[in-house]
Amino acid sequence: MSVEKLAYLPGCPSEATALEQHMSTEAVFEKLGVKLVEVEEWNCCGAAEAEDPNLVYALNARNLAIAEKDNLDIMTPCSICYYNLARTNNALKADEELRAEIKAIDPSLEYNGTITPKHVIDVLVNDIGMEEIKSKLVKKVELKVAPYYGCYLGRPPETAFDDPDDPVLMDQLIELIGGENVPFSSMKTKCCGGPLMMTRADIAFEMARKVLETAKNAGADCIALACPLCGMMLDAKQPDVEKALNLKFEMPIVYITQLLGLALGIDSSKLGLQKNVVDTKKILDKVV
Amino acid sequence: MPIKTWELDPNFKNEILNEPGGEHLTACYQCSTCTLGCPITELVPSYNPRKIIQMSLLGMRTEVLSNPDLWICAICQTCTARCPQNVVVGDVLAVIRRLAEKAEEAGEIKIESPRPLFETAFLHTVEKYGRLYDIGLAMEYYPKREGSFVAGQKAMMNDYMGFGMRMFKKGKMGPLGGHGLFKGLLASKIKQRDVMKKIFKWVEEKEK
Repeated sequence: MSVEKLAYLPGCPSEATALEQHMSTEAVFEKLGVKLVEVEEWNCCGAAEAEDPNLVYALNARNLAIAEKDNLDIMTPCSICYYNLARTNNALKADEELRAEIKAIDPSLEYNGTITPKHVIDVLVNDIGMEEIKSKLVKKVELKVAPYYGCYLGRPPETAFDDPDDPVLMDQLIELIGGENVPFSSMKTKCCGGPLMMTRADIAFEMARKVLETAKNAGADCIALACPLCGMMLDAKQPDVEKALNLKFEMPIVYITQLLGLALGIDSSKLGLQKNVVDTKKILDKVV
Repeated sequence: MPIKTWELDPNFKNEILNEPGGEHLTACYQCSTCTLGCPITELVPSYNPRKIIQMSLLGMRTEVLSNPDLWICAICQTCTARCPQNVVVGDVLAVIRRLAEKAEEAGEIKIESPRPLFETAFLHTVEKYGRLYDIGLAMEYYPKREGSFVAGQKAMMNDYMGFGMRMFKKGKMGPLGGHGLFKGLLASKIKQRDVMKKIFKWVEEKEK
């Protein structure tokens, strides 16, 4: 195993709406023996709402700089944080002038481009590795899972670490822990509608419906995902989608780290499985 | 409707090209891969990134900047990923949205979509606290969108009452999770909030 210690950026949803993603990430990495050092006083990455690249670069330079001081690669479970960290890293590495300009805003924004931003899934599969994870598995998660990647893992190409059309890393993890991936390729990378939740709920709900319906029709016991905005849209807002469209899904939505945690023998309460909005008890019955 | 060539603004494409993210606009050869793969076009057939790009290249400034469809992009990056010409379509559209906001500030157009209000409210919480504060966002956004405090509260309750209760019951917001009495209810503040202020001021200066 090549990775022992990482800087950890939980991201804003980790404090409330995606608390279970944060809990399960910490628990899984503890179990795998990788020390996570939370980025001290981390700030928001600007999410998709910061449309000005300069704002994104300055906001993310601060988080990168804090991790760089500890000489640690920075990992986040949030797909949007990952995208913003990675594109800032690319831009600042390539542009000395921009680096100087951002440093001039405040000395705490001095980033020299010596570390690498990573998403949790990338670290699990490519850095820690399947063999290492396999050696620590104690349970089988015999679930039919719809692996849902969302937008920022395979797109855009400049920051992607998985295939844009047919990503596979989550599929591999699910198979490793004894799960079965249901046919889901048409939906794997389709947007959940999350970014439009508060401005065009009608469009957002239709987009969420497609994801939920496809998973249900494919016979999935749950959808596994990695993005806290997808989690908010598909899990926390699922009752609203059902009500607005007069449909019933009752589709459990879990973070991939929660499923992996179960296979590693971590207690479900430590993985926050009581915090997912759609009930996850049925899932626990299939952990053997 | 025919294009009136005397009303075109040939400099509009340069406005886009000069903004970060808009650099590759002129590489577009109108294949429509962006539009054919777009999940928004699937639901709203009028939404057409290819057309927005071609109209921009032609200089149809007012038509482009006042197009209500600009504001329903989900920023999913599918267009960017699939574009064979590396136009970075998603970033080009973001540039056009920023130019539309500037045009509105200058009194040239009126944006009907509430999306700029939403984004501004979101970023206000980041500027103020260093982190996103959901409740603060909603408290600014809904009254502005609805035009009054009371109407805003009503709309917010309608959209987020159920959601809020779920967050409370699951202990993600409030005391039930054992993470603190005001978990998620109060803003999470970083200490270096002065740096946030400096960042936003720098961006504002740069925009001028």
